[in-house]
Amino acid sequence: MIGCYDFCGHYEWTFGWLERVGGHALVRDYWNEAINHDSQSHARDLIRREGIPGMLKYWGHTLLEESPDLGFNITHTADVFRIDFHDCPSRGFLRRNGLKHYHDYCDHCMGWTGPMLGEAGYVIDHEHNHLGQCWWEMRKAGTPGGHAPAGSVAGPKDVRLRPDWPKDPAKLDRYTKANDPDAKMP
Amino acid sequence: MSAPASSPLPHVDTKPQGSADFYYAVNATFRFLLQRLGPDGWRRYLEELGRGYFEPVNRQWSQGGLPAVARYWRAFFAAEPGAVVDVVEHPDRVEVQVRECPAIKHLRAGGREIVGEYCQHCYFLGAARAEAAGLTLRLSGGSGSCCHTYARRETGLAPQDLREIKEARS
Repeated sequence: MIGCYDFCGHYEWTFGWLERVGGHALVRDYWNEAINHDSQSHARDLIRREGIPGMLKYWGHTLLEESPDLGFNITHTADVFRIDFHDCPSRGFLRRNGLKHYHDYCDHCMGWTGPMLGEAGYVIDHEHNHLGQCWWEMRKAGTPGGHAPAGSVAGPKDVRLRPDWPKDPAKLDRYTKANDPDAKMP
Repeated sequence: MSAPASSPLPHVDTKPQGSADFYYAVNATFRFLLQRLGPDGWRRYLEELGRGYFEPVNRQWSQGGLPAVARYWRAFFAAEPGAVVDVVEHPDRVEVQVRECPAIKHLRAGGREIVGEYCQHCYFLGAARAEAAGLTLRLSGGSGSCCHTYARRETGLAPQDLREIKEARS
């Protein structure tokens, strides 16, 4: 049986298998069709219906279940929904167990949330360091703001204030007003 | 970090049980693979997953035999929320008696459309893992409760009849 306890392990393995079988396009389709439109249809419906309050309901619940020791922080206002991951539960699982079958596991988050939020009318500013730390800001498409200065939205819980947050931009994957996992800034 | 020596699970987490909503993703993955690659592609995925991702478990089983199989499944289902399972050891086989499948239970509770072939995944995946460990697997039942029987190859279990595996119903 495929279990949920080590889900992140076989999920990550699946990305590598799909890429070998059908190339990058099949991986992208998997994130959008299987995860966004099927597995996470409850999140999709909630956020399309309620916007930022729906994001709070979805991520508030799911992150607490996946990361009961609170390796994350959620901040929200009427205009922006922000998550800071200080200890990503799924990337952390892979790192602790030495699992790597796909070149960038972190891409899967933008792979399914990007299209999901795009369908709900939102865009994403995001950076991840591949080591279990990242941040996300979600705003209505066409509104100002984005890549808010460190600490200005999440205060001291902004992951970019960590001493180990990379100073070298080349060590970060960075997105601006994005909905596409391949829209990384150069 | 590798799994602690006390755990039969090759990959361990910091929390005692997984998040049941991940069963939604497993079900969705099967649907996607069946639609895109057909039954043969889905089966190939499961067999390669069984030989590849689960290689550390297969090695444990190969080295530890049926007692290692029993230890693994007890630890596995202890980490799956909602599972009601008995693992029964016989001299020539191990029976994993799944009284309440945690995946089917959660998919139903969430109102999800369950892939009809869902329960076959346990056979295709498990048979590939068993074969890699010098064992055989037979499966009967499904759609919420079933029995997996692991035995040494020389035990000579009757061939698997896929009709013994029920279609999963939502």
